Amino acid sequence: MIGERPRQRPELVVDGYPRRRPRWTEIATSADHKDVGRVMIGAALGFLFIALVELLLMRLQLAVPENTMLTPVTFNRLLSLYGATAIFLFAIPLALGFFYYLAPLQAGARGTALPRIGQIGLWLYLAGATVLYSGFLFTPSEAGVNPLAPLSELAFLPNNGVDAWAAATGLATLGFVLLSVNLVATLHGLRAPGMAWRRLPVFAWAAGICSWLMLFIGPVMLGAITMLLIDRNFDGIFFADGSGGSPLLWSHLSWIFFTGAYMLILIFALGAIAEIVPAFSRRPLQGRRVVIGSLIAIAVVGTLAWMQNMLTAPIGIGWMYFAMLLSLALIVPFGLVFFNLISTMVGGALRMRAPLLFAVGSLSAISIGLASEIEHSMVAVAWRLHNTTDATAATHFALVGGAVFGGFAALHYWFPKMTGRTMGETMARMSFWTMGLGTLIAFVPLFIAGGDHGEVVDAYKFFAGTGVSALNLIATIGAFVLAIGILLTLVNAIFSRTGGSRAGHDQWGGDSLEWFALSPPEPHNFDVLPDVRSARPLHDIRVAIAHRDSPALPEPAARETEPVA
Amino acid sequence: MSPSSPGTDQIDTLLWIGFVAAAILIVAINGALIYAVRRYRGSRGSRTSEAATGRRSQPRVGAALTAFATVVFVLSVIYTNNARETPASAAGGLASASSEPLTISATGQQWLWRYDYPNEAFSYYKLVVPVDTTVQLDLVSTDVIHTWNVPALAGKRDAVPGKTNHVVFRADEEGVFEGDASTLSGQAYAPMRTAVEVVSPARYQAFLASQKSDIQAAQDRVVGLIESGEVP
Repeated sequence: MIGERPRQRPELVVDGYPRRRPRWTEIATSADHKDVGRVMIGAALGFLFIALVELLLMRLQLAVPENTMLTPVTFNRLLSLYGATAIFLFAIPLALGFFYYLAPLQAGARGTALPRIGQIGLWLYLAGATVLYSGFLFTPSEAGVNPLAPLSELAFLPNNGVDAWAAATGLATLGFVLLSVNLVATLHGLRAPGMAWRRLPVFAWAAGICSWLMLFIGPVMLGAITMLLIDRNFDGIFFADGSGGSPLLWSHLSWIFFTGAYMLILIFALGAIAEIVPAFSRRPLQGRRVVIGSLIAIAVVGTLAWMQNMLTAPIGIGWMYFAMLLSLALIVPFGLVFFNLISTMVGGALRMRAPLLFAVGSLSAISIGLASEIEHSMVAVAWRLHNTTDATAATHFALVGGAVFGGFAALHYWFPKMTGRTMGETMARMSFWTMGLGTLIAFVPLFIAGGDHGEVVDAYKFFAGTGVSALNLIATIGAFVLAIGILLTLVNAIFSRTGGSRAGHDQWGGDSLEWFALSPPEPHNFDVLPDVRSARPLHDIRVAIAHRDSPALPEPAARETEPVA
Repeated sequence: MSPSSPGTDQIDTLLWIGFVAAAILIVAINGALIYAVRRYRGSRGSRTSEAATGRRSQPRVGAALTAFATVVFVLSVIYTNNARETPASAAGGLASASSEPLTISATGQQWLWRYDYPNEAFSYYKLVVPVDTTVQLDLVSTDVIHTWNVPALAGKRDAVPGKTNHVVFRADEEGVFEGDASTLSGQAYAPMRTAVEVVSPARYQAFLASQKSDIQAAQDRVVGLIESGEVP
């Protein structure tokens, strides 16, 4: 967005940003939401690669029974790093990066309300990442994906790995909260004239919902992390039993955050898919309001169901039924979103380009993951399946489906807008099918190992003769296939940034305002903005142009064309 | 796995119900996806200009999903209540099995389970219980959170420091049932296993007596060594 570029829309020109500093300095110090978003997306994809390496090392250790490739301590460190990297450094920032880049554009804003706040958010996230991987140089945490107290207390892990984990995730979470503050302020305050809430694109709605969600769950996690740091460094007793503290306090607080983050990632994916499916079906989204309402319900009900993760803990049976009720209630909003997305495709004219391909794959994987979560919500079944690899498989189906397939769908869809170039289609197809195959081979055996043979999670080894040896070997092979598929897309993205075929400004025929901006957008986003009269401003423009060119075609509507759903 | 306890019987049934419920949704959603992609791929899309709202179908689909979720919820509550491992509850499953359960304390510690029997005997790793007797395990932990998990006999439960959790089961057949701990508890988490040996009541009593006398003999020996000055 710096330097000279041929201008296709010369109406009102803000010209001449002289290039004063090197490009990387310009990007690194920019508070522009597009620069911040691009850095976040790039960093998140980088951490996806690192998380993959950690996952593959752990899968290698679990390829054969009683393997001694990794020591227990090394395995636990990799496990902890993998969890923090996948959740805090990849999935959440990828979602927030896309939101941060696109929601202001979709809302027709020329910038964000609090750009410096968002910039600090980005740098706190990167600082958190740096802290986590500086910890890697000496002693990473050994406490697992969710470092449950009291294992994460000083008495049981006296090295500073857990401190590094807490500082890293705390910094990153604080960054997410600040980015969300700016997104909320922007979406509430800077929407273009005519861009009423009811006309806001579904993805921008998802951005608003996820930002509000982060404003609730982020501080909960920050509170828990602060307590953990006080416990470890200042003789605190928050998570010590007796003396008024309770180990279950950490469980509750951290599961509120992790459950909310799970929902955030799924809402991001479904929001992106709700943009992609209509664009590639050449058909408006069915039941827009129902979809938006369902996403809100998912955020609220899903997060309140955090005790679904604690069904074996000493909590009252009433709380267990409460968690089960909320978890099972999620069937309704998720089902309605799936119904409307699929109904939009039925009767449309599908262009099976990479974004739609990944979107369909994402829906499929999410459906398998969430349907399996139903079993984990049923109290007595959770007493059997809790903390087995069945849970690992369900979570990975949902989150790989949401963050990786959904994130890649968003990446392929908006890559032309961000870079002015399209990603290679052949490579995208190869990547998609490899990833799809890899996901099935990697995680379906874990369903069987956990569900039928009760293999437990997080263990650095399993024993021969327990019936899971072959399943684990297959899962390891599948993880490598999945990794190859993911790498293909990462390589594709890197090469397409400069080598991809040039993209138009409205590459896919999308209906929302980001396609009205140039590709990539100018620093101020829009020279002029159209008069927003419906949820599909670009569709209205196309109709108006068609009418101008050949008056026999229908006139543009003066008001909303979208019937109330 | 073959259930060896009335509680796991109920869990097994509910697991199948959950599996069927999940399978219905997975088949329905993925079937619809495959149909949509195959049927409408590159089609001319006669209805593309139509602004579909699904106004009629939304409430129907919503109601169907609500009914589905309600059925799953009600069945889960019924079967969970049957499998409830709370001796105080009124009816069904284990609750009606016997009047007073045999109470044994199970202590999770890094990385071994310790079982304390009513006659002050104790054992590590292996729990010995009589067949056809309702057993209540009081789960406590001396350090971090552990999960007691012997799937053939009962649902898993967490042992959390400062709290007491309960597992109730009644083994219907003799044998040895193994289980892994299932909450990450540190370095030796994977080998932190346990075994429950179900024996006849007579052998159980014999085990208690011999275990107690063995422990007593060992204690006496240590006390003797200390008194004789061999151990400072």
